Amino acid sequence: MSALVLDGLVAGRRSRTGAGFRLPPLDMTASPGEVIALIGPNGAGKTTLLKTLAGLIPPLAGRIDGPASAAYLPPPGAVSAAFSALHLTALGRAGLRRWSPGLTPDDVEAARAALSRLDVLDLADRPFDRLSSGQQQLVLIARMFVQAAPVCLLDEPLAMLDPAHAQAVEAAVRPLAAEGRIVLASTHHLPFAARADRILAIGPDWIEVKTPAYALGADRIRALFGVETTGCPCCGQTPGFRP
Amino acid sequence: MDPLKRFRALAAPLALALLALAAAAAVLATGPLGVSPEQLITALFGHGPPEAELALSLRGPRLLAAMTCGAALAGAGAGFQILFRNPLASPDLLGVTSGAGFGAALALLLGAGALLTQGAAFAGGLATGAVAIACAALTRSGDGRLALILCGIVAGALASAGLGLVIIVAEPYSQLPSITYWLLGSFTRATAGEALLALAPVGLGSAVLLWLGFRLDVLSLGDEQARSLGLPAAPLRLLALAAAALMTSSAVAIAGIVGWIGLLAPHAARRLVGDRAERLIPSAMAMGALFALLLDRLSTAFGPAELPVGLLSAAVGAPAFLALFIATSRRV
Repeated sequence: MSALVLDGLVAGRRSRTGAGFRLPPLDMTASPGEVIALIGPNGAGKTTLLKTLAGLIPPLAGRIDGPASAAYLPPPGAVSAAFSALHLTALGRAGLRRWSPGLTPDDVEAARAALSRLDVLDLADRPFDRLSSGQQQLVLIARMFVQAAPVCLLDEPLAMLDPAHAQAVEAAVRPLAAEGRIVLASTHHLPFAARADRILAIGPDWIEVKTPAYALGADRIRALFGVETTGCPCCGQTPGFRP
Repeated sequence: MDPLKRFRALAAPLALALLALAAAAAVLATGPLGVSPEQLITALFGHGPPEAELALSLRGPRLLAAMTCGAALAGAGAGFQILFRNPLASPDLLGVTSGAGFGAALALLLGAGALLTQGAAFAGGLATGAVAIACAALTRSGDGRLALILCGIVAGALASAGLGLVIIVAEPYSQLPSITYWLLGSFTRATAGEALLALAPVGLGSAVLLWLGFRLDVLSLGDEQARSLGLPAAPLRLLALAAAALMTSSAVAIAGIVGWIGLLAPHAARRLVGDRAERLIPSAMAMGALFALLLDRLSTAFGPAELPVGLLSAAVGAPAFLALFIATSRRV
């Protein structure tokens, strides 16, 4: 699988009055197997950047080179479907079966394996709409395992989840990358960001890709969010905190 | 999935289709020309007893028209309901029904014959659907589904206004009754040729919807999800809309405006087979054919003056829909 190369990419939304909104240009190379966390205050443009990378919004300038297809996962609660979790997972193969008569038993088997891998096989026959946000999120991540997308873009995958589900989702993200995918996840959960390989931070008028140790340093967090942290840059925990 | 559920999901469309065929045979057998199923089968192959051939030639076209319309309306309704993820979506979502009514009324006003009236209804329905889709394409509202619903209302309202104008202008003693009668809907006026002619567009539309199958499920997740799953959302949705509009227009062209089947049949089928398009659409079509058949039989049950099917479908369909809704909501 090839690397994802961003060359002067400007993400944003054009508006007819010219009042649109644009991010600073971004140069970055992400290699397969890498987990990159995307942090920044609300309204900084994290979702806009992810959707631009997913090809859902055209870039205002610059180039995206690399894998042609990217899977975009909206924040928990955004997907709704009345059919079973298993069928929704198997739909991860829809792109492969674009012109075929239907999904194959093989696709359903792959979906079952992915659900079982994330330990949610017991949800397979339940209607997706009846699952909790955390369960839905795990099912949708299982679908990413089924889907043959080399780039996985997760929009706040941990939002609204309880600690147990958040932990399960976090635990699924690393294997997703270990299979050779590039994972880019936006988050406000700094301990999650701290465990990523690199951090892409979007400030009010700057954008930078750094190591977690640097990006979560007290001065960078102050520049980003305008708040004082005394936390450890690597785990986000306050000194003296005992789990 | 446990084996019983799986069996039910796979066998239900087939069982419903067989039930509809059996109901058709039963309708032929219980009419004034009571024909046994064996006689019917021999008559189908051209050498049965004369009364069986008579029954087939008199009632056959009507049965065929009823079943084609019922299946078309239910299939289109199911398609729209999946596509828009809205249980209230019905085949006239894009204003197709009003457009077809306008086309037919205009043709009747200009003194057209039966076939030309049907052609005008078909063209009117498709044109209104096309106007709705084209208007929606001009807007830029995120997902596009809301735009389609609103533009469908607009296109339908324009067609209704045109229909109102035709009714005002129509000659009150000769043209108006025929227009009114046409609008109320009936399966009696279709000849064998016309019913067979309608089979082609309905067959094409349902083949497209059936092929779309799991792709409709993906489209029901919204454009963003469909595109990120690697499907070309906009062209596929256009294909589905065109297929559903084609089916609705043909149904209205042969039967006039018969409401409720397109709303009720998909809901009834959904209770049996669940929400997956590849199961729901064929089941809904078989259910629709069955409903239309029963309504048509009911329309002849009140003496020699037949009730228009369009009236009956609302009188029976609306309470049935309510009952189904109450039953479904209580089960949850």
